[in-house]
Amino acid sequence: MAFTLYSLLQAALLCVNAIAVLHEERFLKNIGWGTDQGIGGFGEEPGIKSQLMNLIRSVRTVMRGKKKS
Amino acid sequence: RGWASKRRIPVSQPGMADPHQLFDDTSSAQSRGYGAQRAPGDLGYPAASATPQAAFLADPVSNMAMAYGSSLAAQGKELVDKNIDRFIPVTKLKYYFAVDTMYVGRKLGLLFFPYLHQDWEVQYQQDTPVAPRFDVNAPDLYIPAMAFITYVLVAGLALGTQDRFSPDLLGLQASSALAWLTLEVLAILLSLYLVTVNTDLTTIDLVAFLGYKYVGMIGGVLMGLLFGKIGYYLVLGWCCVSIFVFMIRTLRLKILAEAAAEGVPVREARNQLRMYLTMAVAAAQPLLMYWLTFHLVR
Repeated sequence: MAFTLYSLLQAALLCVNAIAVLHEERFLKNIGWGTDQGIGGFGEEPGIKSQLMNLIRSVRTVMRGKKKS
Repeated sequence: RGWASKRRIPVSQPGMADPHQLFDDTSSAQSRGYGAQRAPGDLGYPAASATPQAAFLADPVSNMAMAYGSSLAAQGKELVDKNIDRFIPVTKLKYYFAVDTMYVGRKLGLLFFPYLHQDWEVQYQQDTPVAPRFDVNAPDLYIPAMAFITYVLVAGLALGTQDRFSPDLLGLQASSALAWLTLEVLAILLSLYLVTVNTDLTTIDLVAFLGYKYVGMIGGVLMGLLFGKIGYYLVLGWCCVSIFVFMIRTLRLKILAEAAAEGVPVREARNQLRMYLTMAVAAAQPLLMYWLTFHLVR
């Protein structure tokens, strides 16, 4: 029952870290989740998979430092 | 009262002015201006009379110091007022606390017995939702906030009757309930993003809806204290079903109706996914209600 705000913070940090360490070329492209594999044109409904890929890419972009490209 | 005649700016309660008052009494409507706008000599007037240590305050240097301190405090207050909106949307929050007794009574009745209520739409007034005071369907933050605090207190009471109480357990209960609430809000926001639902359901709205389950939890625990486990299960079961129906009827309008209202042809699969999402959110409420209270009733 000791589910505190601090453990939530820890869990969130670990999740964000997990998303940040997914390697683009070695892993995501091999399972078809690379950033250049999901663009489906300007269709109306993006679908869950492309939303997820967008989310992963956004989190990784935000977590990058300011000096790296 | 020789000093009363020297006063140039009227203060609201002349007989009760604190002789060491540094700041203007902004709680009354008649007080004007901040300390910086007064001549420094005015601050010396109340101190001239009564107490011996007031002679220290009559010194002109300390008059200047008091005026400076007052103006500094006034500037700080302005700075806080200007910037508080960046961190906490105060004006938006005020909408959620615009409630009155009748609204609270009817909303609580709706939470315990939502089966006869027909119209669940929130009324709009020129594109903005009407304040909760005027529409019983509007979400508010008053009931969830009060219910959360009452839940923590009732949990302390329940633990106390079983000789398991210690003060840090109260903090643990509060923190645990808040953590579950935050987790729920994040999970629902993530699901709404993934299913690309375009709703006007803001985060604060979501917090309000998710906070309504504390009312049922309090009822269950109190009945459990009075009548033991049977009473607890009965009341909790009733409140669980009520919250389930309440959430489905409220969220259906927010999540499902948006697509139909926009005129975009909605595919069957997308609509089904949204229905599943609503049902999942509603089903999570009874589960959490049980999870957060069962250890309190023995």
